[in-house]
Amino acid sequence: EKWAATRPKYPPTSLALQHFDATYSAQLGQLWPSVRVALLSERKYGALLNNFSHDAILEDLRAKGCRDFINDTDTVAQPCLEEGPVAGVKEESSDVPVKKSDIDGQQLSPLRLSPHIKCAVFPRGDITRFKPARPDMHKLLGYYLMDAASVLPCLAMDVQEGHNVLDLCAAPGGKTLTLLQTQSIRFLCVNDTSVSRTLRLRKVLHSYVPKEFLTERNLRITSFDGTKWGEIERETFDRVLVDVPCTTDRHSVIEDDNNIFSKTRTGERRRLPQVQLELLLAGIEAACPGGEIMYSTCTLSQIQNLSVVEQAIHLAREKHGIRLEVVDLRPLTRMFRKTFHFAPDLHLGEMVIPHLAANFGPIYMCKLRRLT
Amino acid sequence: STLQSTQRYNRSQLSEKPVTELSLRSLAGMGFTDIQAEQIYETVFNVRGGSVAKHALSTLTALFVLGLNPSSVLKLLQKCPELYTVKESLLQQRIDNLRKVGLGEGSLQRVVAHYPQILTVTVKKLKHVVAFLREKCLFTVQQVTDILRDSPAIVLEDLSQVEYKFQYVYFRMGVKQAEMIKSRLFRFALDEIRCRHCFLERRGLYQTPDKKGQTVIINPQLDSILSADQDTFLRTIAKASAEEYEVFQRLMDREWQEEEKMYGSFEAD
Ligand SMILES: C[S@@+](CC[C@H](N)C(=O)[O-])C[C@H]1O[C@@H](n2cnc3c(N)ncnc32)[C@H](O)[C@@H]1O
Repeated sequence: EKWAATRPKYPPTSLALQHFDATYSAQLGQLWPSVRVALLSERKYGALLNNFSHDAILEDLRAKGCRDFINDTDTVAQPCLEEGPVAGVKEESSDVPVKKSDIDGQQLSPLRLSPHIKCAVFPRGDITRFKPARPDMHKLLGYYLMDAASVLPCLAMDVQEGHNVLDLCAAPGGKTLTLLQTQSIRFLCVNDTSVSRTLRLRKVLHSYVPKEFLTERNLRITSFDGTKWGEIERETFDRVLVDVPCTTDRHSVIEDDNNIFSKTRTGERRRLPQVQLELLLAGIEAACPGGEIMYSTCTLSQIQNLSVVEQAIHLAREKHGIRLEVVDLRPLTRMFRKTFHFAPDLHLGEMVIPHLAANFGPIYMCKLRRLT
Repeated sequence: STLQSTQRYNRSQLSEKPVTELSLRSLAGMGFTDIQAEQIYETVFNVRGGSVAKHALSTLTALFVLGLNPSSVLKLLQKCPELYTVKESLLQQRIDNLRKVGLGEGSLQRVVAHYPQILTVTVKKLKHVVAFLREKCLFTVQQVTDILRDSPAIVLEDLSQVEYKFQYVYFRMGVKQAEMIKSRLFRFALDEIRCRHCFLERRGLYQTPDKKGQTVIINPQLDSILSADQDTFLRTIAKASAEEYEVFQRLMDREWQEEEKMYGSFEAD
């Protein structure tokens, strides 16, 4: 009777799956089964290299068969999927962080990447796992394991020397840590409404970053409700990351604990798009004119991704008189298409979709620039 | 080759092996060609240095009585030389028993020719397998016959593994006995069945039926899942790339190994 086990009739994971089957098969069409099997199978990680560590981590990881997907130009290990090299694109080499790209004959503006970020991954199709990172002589860990696709929004933020940066929903801190690797930020505001998660974030920062970089002069950690940020601090930041709470699709189909699809959290789940919209609007207000806002989620949901951005652009203009432009991230997808699968034909933003051979994501990202 | 066989004949005479019953002449009398007779000799002497030779003739006779021709007899003995060690009376009992469980002429010959090892199985063991299939898996008498005919190797398998396979397909995939028979389920390795099933399930193309046997989607037939070669399976049923399935198989292997390890450590506790 091994298979007739007594499980609750509809555990949250199967509710999530039912929900996704209905919405994503319509949204992704033919791609959905392939994304579905990837979501339900073991994910891949990337090792965000800790530039503050003293050990020669990247060499060790390279010896194990990894490559830094951002900077290693060695492309032999990564067979390309769709062929058709595009003139003028130098793929996956970023010693020069400015890339020119040309897609469908139309000239794209160059996309600058945040500097010094390194992330090691095992090649396409390789399912080797990373070992937990070890502390160096100063007790700092050599790498942080996270979804390699989560690095992309940080890369695309184009953090520059002397920037003031806000990370509005920061815990547990993977993206904060990524942003800190640039070592270019003048002042970083880290916020997360959850006090317990903020504590975890502090722990993460202290295991990776030397104390002298974590002083009041360069860092502030708060636990405010991010939706209210516009009321506190307007037109302040050069870069704002709005990495909102979402249906966390991968977690929701795998883990019954703490699942947003459990019956008791239905209300919270229904409110997500509204909260996301408010957070993004707050982020937009917190950015200074000319500043840039990165919206990101780890869901495939159109309602939580494109629709939120569309409404935010509209409301920013109507209610706050802020004009925004969408920054084209297609050069980024060109650069990293050997490492990730990107959703085709999104009319707003870019999305990494999971695939068994490159089981990263989902990560949605959309970058806005404040014109006024 | 005539010369060769004569030499061999002489040699065996010279070496004074107790080949009282088995001679080239007797083999020729049974319809073996010279070369085949040579090969029979070889296989006999490869089993325990020829000490089994006294059973050999009776084994051969029994197989001929079954209606097998010399070349299939030779082939099956090469596949399963242990048969030379089985006493005639036992061999006869086993053959009778196979008839009793429903293998009529025709299927009996085919099973023995294709899987001669079935005659190394004792009457008691075979009865045990039949009882297991009847009682633990609720197959009908006819279905058990079909299983023995289509997947005779089941008689030498670990029955707890067979039971696990049955339960997996019955409970997890919701497939009834009749469909199992049609798909010749027991020919396939558990890992292969599980891997294809899980792949389809995770792609959203297979569902475990509920208590009333209902599913939201229409499941592909077990037969079409198992009997297709990998390319066909991927193209027509899973609609996936070979790369995806190849990675998936490695992931599953690791998942199952780790499950087993965990299970093992629970048992050890
Ligand atoms: C997707 S997670 C952020 C992950 C994080 N950026 C990282 O890379 O490790 C979303 C976070 O938003 C926080 N959150 C939810 N509602 C919020 C709000 N109103 N204001 C600020 N943070 C909020 C949650 O506590 C959660 O930690």
